[in-house]
Amino acid sequence: MTTLAPPPASFLPTWPMITTKLLEMRKRRGLMVVVLLFTIGVAILVLGLRLLLHAVDPNSFGPAGTPTVFVGLATEMGTFGFIVAATLGATAGTTDLADGVFRNLVITGRSRAALYLARIPAGLSIVLSLLAVGFTMLCLVTSFASAPQPSALNVNGVNVPLNMSEAQLETWLLDHPGLAAQAFSNGSVTIQPAGPFGGGQTGQTGSPPSVSPAAESAFLRAHMSEVYTAYTFAESQELEPPINEMVKIGLWLVLELSIGFVVGLGFGSLVGQRTIATIVMIILELVVTPIFAGVVIPYFINGQRLLVGVAMDQLRPILLSGGQVHGGGSRAFGGRALGIPPMPTWGMISVIVGWIVLWTAVGAWRMVTRDA
Amino acid sequence: MTATELLSPRPHGDGDGDWAVETHGLTKRFGNVVAVDNVELLVPRGCAFGYLGPNGAGKTTLIRTLLGLTKADGGSMSLLGMPVPSQRGRALARVGAIVDEPRFHKHLTGRENLQILAAARGAGARERIAPALQRVGLTERADSKVATYSMGMRQRLGVASCLLADPELLILDEPMNGLDPAGMHEMRGMIQSFVAEGRTVVLSSHLLDEVERTCDAVAIVDRGKVIRQGSIAELVRGVDLVVRVECSDPPTAQRLVEEAGIATNVSSGELGLTVTLPAGSERELVAEVNRRLVTAGISVYSLQEVRNTLENWFLSVTSRFGEGS
Repeated sequence: MTTLAPPPASFLPTWPMITTKLLEMRKRRGLMVVVLLFTIGVAILVLGLRLLLHAVDPNSFGPAGTPTVFVGLATEMGTFGFIVAATLGATAGTTDLADGVFRNLVITGRSRAALYLARIPAGLSIVLSLLAVGFTMLCLVTSFASAPQPSALNVNGVNVPLNMSEAQLETWLLDHPGLAAQAFSNGSVTIQPAGPFGGGQTGQTGSPPSVSPAAESAFLRAHMSEVYTAYTFAESQELEPPINEMVKIGLWLVLELSIGFVVGLGFGSLVGQRTIATIVMIILELVVTPIFAGVVIPYFINGQRLLVGVAMDQLRPILLSGGQVHGGGSRAFGGRALGIPPMPTWGMISVIVGWIVLWTAVGAWRMVTRDA
Repeated sequence: MTATELLSPRPHGDGDGDWAVETHGLTKRFGNVVAVDNVELLVPRGCAFGYLGPNGAGKTTLIRTLLGLTKADGGSMSLLGMPVPSQRGRALARVGAIVDEPRFHKHLTGRENLQILAAARGAGARERIAPALQRVGLTERADSKVATYSMGMRQRLGVASCLLADPELLILDEPMNGLDPAGMHEMRGMIQSFVAEGRTVVLSSHLLDEVERTCDAVAIVDRGKVIRQGSIAELVRGVDLVVRVECSDPPTAQRLVEEAGIATNVSSGELGLTVTLPAGSERELVAEVNRRLVTAGISVYSLQEVRNTLENWFLSVTSRFGEGS
């Protein structure tokens, strides 16, 4: 008998442990079909159909890669990608138990924490590689199969030059009295709180609201940040997204799906039941997070901010935020889709990191202490 | 092999300690239920050791506790001389085990399942996959999904998974469960070949006959307690000797044997007597029964010593069976 050296007591998984866990997960055909469908399947279907229709009848069907399609599919990847990643995580956290294999793994003498941690890179490699394929495809179609770019931005009937910085926009608006009110007071973009331009102005091709140049100038100085956000959002609706914005969205999606997987894995490991874990994760993403992010619950606002989806909504790139603009918060990614006052940047980062660390710890703890 | 030989520490290879498995006062409770009750167990190296008891006696719980699948509530234990759980990783590197029925990922092939376990075992285990599959006769079906395997094939795959560690100690929980007679025969042969290679095999079972056929030594467990352990020959020696006598006048024969005071129990039927002699009786006592009957003019047609089996003994010492009868 040539006995093996004992497995290292380290909590770190080895490369073969990760690759074999990946093998176990990717061979679950039903699960992989769902993951494929919601990460790249929808994008392939929509973009393929649009490319085909445009090729067949370009007069009736516009180019495949419009900014609207880009935003729609990226949003779909975020929402359903989170759910799919969470489902995959819950599956990874429970199948060894459900299949009765957990005890076989424990008997090897390998650290249970290492057995748990091997699931994270294995699962993320599936989710993120599919996301990378789907999102790259979306970016390529948006960049190379889109309509010719407009020469100016039409905001509520006002032609505003493109690609201006905030200072350039402010100068331009001050040089064109009255247009600021017409372009940015109402319509598709809402500035909160309502400025001196007031509501009720449709902003169409009618005459500009009667606002004195002094009042307009004072407003612009006070609210230029929000006006510029509205401008960039309007710009994003008309123009194909710039590369840096695509990168931001891609990174945000990576973080969103990674959180979904890690939380699903931890929760699945905790409850030991895939169905329950998956249902809870769907409710979290589709019910609880929108409510907590969108509605101020009196005396509970800090509790709302502890939800990872709320923090991720604050981080959400502006293109995916639906153009909702609220004051405060970081502009690093320009996302301000919250219906509640944003939390400080350090708070947002703490919540996101805290959820990842907490659920990893909870899942590993349960795995270590569970009877096999 | 005598009981003394079996229960004495034997020389061993690269392992540590005198016993393959050693427990002292091992206790495991589930609420108010004591599944493993102060168990003192000594399993010698290099033999097949049966852990025998009726269903619910705590056999699987003891194995799970030994392997660290669940925590003990009291006592101490060691595998191959290494105390567990403190040296669990080191000990388990030399142990292969099947707990309950062998279960695997059904959507994967046998080989892929072994790859997962080999990855957890560490370097060297992967190279043992092919030989292990060959040893258990699964090479041809190694690339079929486990979902298509019969129970016997899953048992064999379970044994193959044990062999990834090239273990000094194999712990097999009810290895005959679900096997047909051919499968049982095959498993028995495999266990005997492991012992012949110098490995220690501990198998739990409620199949008394199988343990008797396969094992050199046995511990009897009932309601979580080890009530007896030793070599099978030694344990059977403690069982009453039963003799069936076919004769011409059973009622008279019964009276004669009772009057002689040499039997603990005598009963008669149409064909003859059943005489129970005390445990440890010499065979001369059987001749004495015959002599007394013949001397009294009773024709003795046959006189047959009923073979003492572990089952007889088991039934006599385990409370549950006794209560049920």
